[in-house]
Amino acid sequence: MASADIADLATLADGEAILRILRVSKWYGGVLGVNDVSLALGPGITALVGANGAGKSTLMRLAAGQLRADLGEVRVCGISPLRPRAKAIIGFMPDGDRFYEDMSGHTFVATLAGLHGYSSAEAERRTRQVLEQVGMAGRSERPLRNYSKGMRQRIKLAQAIVHEPSLLILDEPFAGIDPVGRQQFMRLFRGLAAQGCCLLVSSHELDEVEKLTNRIALMAHGKLVGAGTLTDVRDLLDQHPLTVQITVREPRRLAALLWRISDVRGVEVRDEGEVIVRALAPRRFLQGLGALILEERIDVERLRTLDDSAEALLRYVQRT
Amino acid sequence: MLQYAPLTVADGRRHSVIWPIAMAAVALSMRRRLSWILYGLSLLVFLMFFFGQYLLSWAQGQTAETTIRIGFIRTDPTRLIGVLRDALHMNGGAQTYRNFVTLQGSMVVIVLALAGSVLIGNDFRCGSLAFYLAKPLARWHYLAGKGLAVALMVNLMTTLPALVLFVQYGFLDSWEYFVRDGQRLGAVSIGSVRIPLQGPNPLLFGIVGYGALLTVCLSIMLLATSCWLRKTVPLIMVWTTVFFFFRLVAVALVDGLQYDARWRLLDLWNDMTLVGGTCLGLGSESFRSSRQPAAAEALVVLSMVCVACLIYLSRQIRAVEVVG
Repeated sequence: MASADIADLATLADGEAILRILRVSKWYGGVLGVNDVSLALGPGITALVGANGAGKSTLMRLAAGQLRADLGEVRVCGISPLRPRAKAIIGFMPDGDRFYEDMSGHTFVATLAGLHGYSSAEAERRTRQVLEQVGMAGRSERPLRNYSKGMRQRIKLAQAIVHEPSLLILDEPFAGIDPVGRQQFMRLFRGLAAQGCCLLVSSHELDEVEKLTNRIALMAHGKLVGAGTLTDVRDLLDQHPLTVQITVREPRRLAALLWRISDVRGVEVRDEGEVIVRALAPRRFLQGLGALILEERIDVERLRTLDDSAEALLRYVQRT
Repeated sequence: MLQYAPLTVADGRRHSVIWPIAMAAVALSMRRRLSWILYGLSLLVFLMFFFGQYLLSWAQGQTAETTIRIGFIRTDPTRLIGVLRDALHMNGGAQTYRNFVTLQGSMVVIVLALAGSVLIGNDFRCGSLAFYLAKPLARWHYLAGKGLAVALMVNLMTTLPALVLFVQYGFLDSWEYFVRDGQRLGAVSIGSVRIPLQGPNPLLFGIVGYGALLTVCLSIMLLATSCWLRKTVPLIMVWTTVFFFFRLVAVALVDGLQYDARWRLLDLWNDMTLVGGTCLGLGSESFRSSRQPAAAEALVVLSMVCVACLIYLSRQIRAVEVVG
């Protein structure tokens, strides 16, 4: 699938797009880190999903202005993210968590707040506010070297949102966070999105991603293979066989009838009235299935897709 | 809950971001115990000069007798103290300040070699630079912030105490000391360039000039070497090579093998002392070895080294370095 097609799905009008990535490529010497990626994001949460080495972190660094694209262009609210003006509206939470280990979390966040040009009193006020938001109030005075992974994640998030960014880029924010913390983070992210912030979140924790948002951008081998809702992306992957489980009273009859649909590639009848069908072109197949059920008056007790999840998509993309 | 509106920072305030970078860097370097020991040593040097000047001045005022006997020699105590003052160069003259700043400067070099990895190396090695470059800073903001931190450390150990000594000597001597220097209209020479002064005290000019020279050169060199080496031990090795080994080589070539005096330009510390001494109005005759290159040549070498370091820094602190 051409990446231009994928870009069209996510393209927003100029005024709506907070982050716009247009045909961007990035090489590391002879290795292509990101390959001709186009993407446009408006307010809301978008999860960037992909296996290790898929190019997620590179894409995020390009969007955050930490890397310069070799080809194509990146714009944040119409400004190149390499420019300080754009960085004033970007919040970036990098993957690495090595800080100034002797500093306290509070001082670290306050120092970075000061880099936005706030007076010390204002930086201090914002630091206190943001530490409270990330659940670090009252325990941020210890040196960073004594922090757990989860606490470091919270401090990283705090420094990323201390200046109220319009675009928040979060590289693996859930790594090392306990379940309570994850819920807290999700509430915070949803709150920020509701206020018009654009969040780009990368994660390996696909269950969390699905709980967090329905919008994903799927990366593999440096390319963006899909962007949109989970179902949209699923539809894009026409060559990925969709597996559907149908529970009916007459499974054998349905199995025979299903072969009428041209996209069907396999049918399996199981006990307890279950039919497992594998088909290509999911949208077309589901339309055909609907028509067949109505036409043949089949009494369907239950119908569900078995692999319409981010994890299934990721597994499939990895294999291809 | 935060309200998400585009952040606008006034241009004037944008430059204020240099200060937090500098303060964070100074605070981090102060956490090393060894740094405090070196600060303590430099304080001892300062106190030696401070109380040395005071003691000699006090002793001069206490000599009621016209002559005193030291062994078989009878001498005038006032003259004796005068000789001691000149021999120790604790006479509030240009050489006093040059000696003081040079002594303190050598301590500063050690402090900076130790602090370099904390000031800058860690940002590259540990990835902290990613946090800086995610903020609305230009590259020069980062460099200026770190440079300011080094400048603070250099000046707190050299220029500031030298100025304290200058003021102290004026009070010990008489107001004439300030007035006399203020009235030195003539001209101050830096190599072959003569800068006419219409009022400022030439000694004051010399102290500030020498301090500024050390600040600029050491800051830029430290930033570049820390950016390149990033770890403390290699940094100390390189600084030892530049400030100690090159000095030995220069001395061997010029004083030992009688090569041209320009070979001494290899010794960057000597170059700084030469230019700094010239700011104070001292010529090459005031050096232990009078075979010295021209101060202007030393200034050119230092400028070239600084420009090379700045070019290197500018290339290193690009966004791509964040993942390097």
